[in-house]
Amino acid sequence: MTPTHFAFSSAFILGLTGLAFHRSHLLSALICLEAMMVSLFIALSLWTMQLNSTNFSASPLLLLAFSACEASMGLPSLVATARTHGSDQIRNLNLLQC
Amino acid sequence: MSPLMFSTLLLALGLGSTVTFSSSHWLLAWMGLEINSLAMVPLMARPHFPRAVEAATKYFLAQATAAAMILFAGMTNAWMTGQWTIEMMTHPLPLTLVTLALGLKIGLAPVHAWLPEVLQGVDLTTGLILSTWQKLAPLALLLQLPHGNSPLLIILALSSTLIGGWAGLNQTQLRKILAYSSIAHLGWMMVILQYAPSLTLLALLTYIVMTSSIFLLFKLNNTTNINALATSHTKIPVLTLFAPFILLSLGGLPPLTGFMPKWLILHELTMQGMGTLATITALTALLSLYFYLRLSYSMSLTMSPNNLLTSPLWRLRPHQPTLPLAISATSATMLLPLTPAAFLVR
Repeated sequence: MTPTHFAFSSAFILGLTGLAFHRSHLLSALICLEAMMVSLFIALSLWTMQLNSTNFSASPLLLLAFSACEASMGLPSLVATARTHGSDQIRNLNLLQC
Repeated sequence: MSPLMFSTLLLALGLGSTVTFSSSHWLLAWMGLEINSLAMVPLMARPHFPRAVEAATKYFLAQATAAAMILFAGMTNAWMTGQWTIEMMTHPLPLTLVTLALGLKIGLAPVHAWLPEVLQGVDLTTGLILSTWQKLAPLALLLQLPHGNSPLLIILALSSTLIGGWAGLNQTQLRKILAYSSIAHLGWMMVILQYAPSLTLLALLTYIVMTSSIFLLFKLNNTTNINALATSHTKIPVLTLFAPFILLSLGGLPPLTGFMPKWLILHELTMQGMGTLATITALTALLSLYFYLRLSYSMSLTMSPNNLLTSPLWRLRPHQPTLPLAISATSATMLLPLTPAAFLVR
């Protein structure tokens, strides 16, 4: 395992741990998701740079575009949840459990 | 929602799964999964009720996490072995990671908790899409992975059939019961995945047929909990007579379609010399059978004591098309003679 590999893996796992265990605000969950996607973007860019291949040169941009789409789906659901449930606390999302 | 927006979302829903089916590269497969789940979220939040919005948010969080984990596993595999191809994911660490992530996407048991809540929050048509079409793309990826002889799939499968049967016992809401039945059926698909992948496909096909017939039946009846099932006799008498057969087919009783995948899976497991696993899996199916029996009991074997409910109403012609329900209900009960002989003779 190279140092670069260790660096982006630990960044991703930190983001995933934050998403899984720090469940107070919906916004922090979305930020953790973004951190995961950014670490993946860095990993894919470094992979492309190491490979020096033109085939892969567009793929980091594709990843970034898709993660931006994902963020633009997360923020409206944050707004919609805040409008229907009153706040962005995750513990308010309890209508469906039984 | 405007018709243009609605048709665009439905097209994207189909496009995402198709991209995933036809890709052999992890990045493209991930992009297909993202298109698929991003198109699904607005469809779920279409009625702006608190329940629908909450279900859409929970669905989004689960699917986004699973998609990021899938891409992370692909990236780890690329950094370790230099391979982006789906069939070439041979390193055990990313293989375990991606199996768990795909399990989160379809709702396998240790990571299933989002599925009943999300299904409870959406209407029956969206629930039908969620429990049939949305399972296809992750299952296509799971089928392509080179599972060795890993115990992970067995653990996922056993806990799915167990939890799917067990947690469904306590529910009175139809959509939650259907979600737990979906978890149990996915467990049956997973238990055979590494021995005979074609049986997984057969189980998936029969599961889709049976689930769509039961969702369309509840949609026609307009019921979402067990109590409301008792009034279905006054609305649609013939279908009420037919419903126990569909439910028992979901449970897997012999002369019906649902018996076919269970029979073939148990046969194959026994032929592989895994009698204990086959026994435990067959016993957990009894748990699911209990709540299917309870549904069919309260739907058609009892009459409601209230006079107003037992007296027949003036029946109008149903507004929604009934041909899909007729086709899927017929094939959900009568397909057992079409059992492929290739599975039986070896």
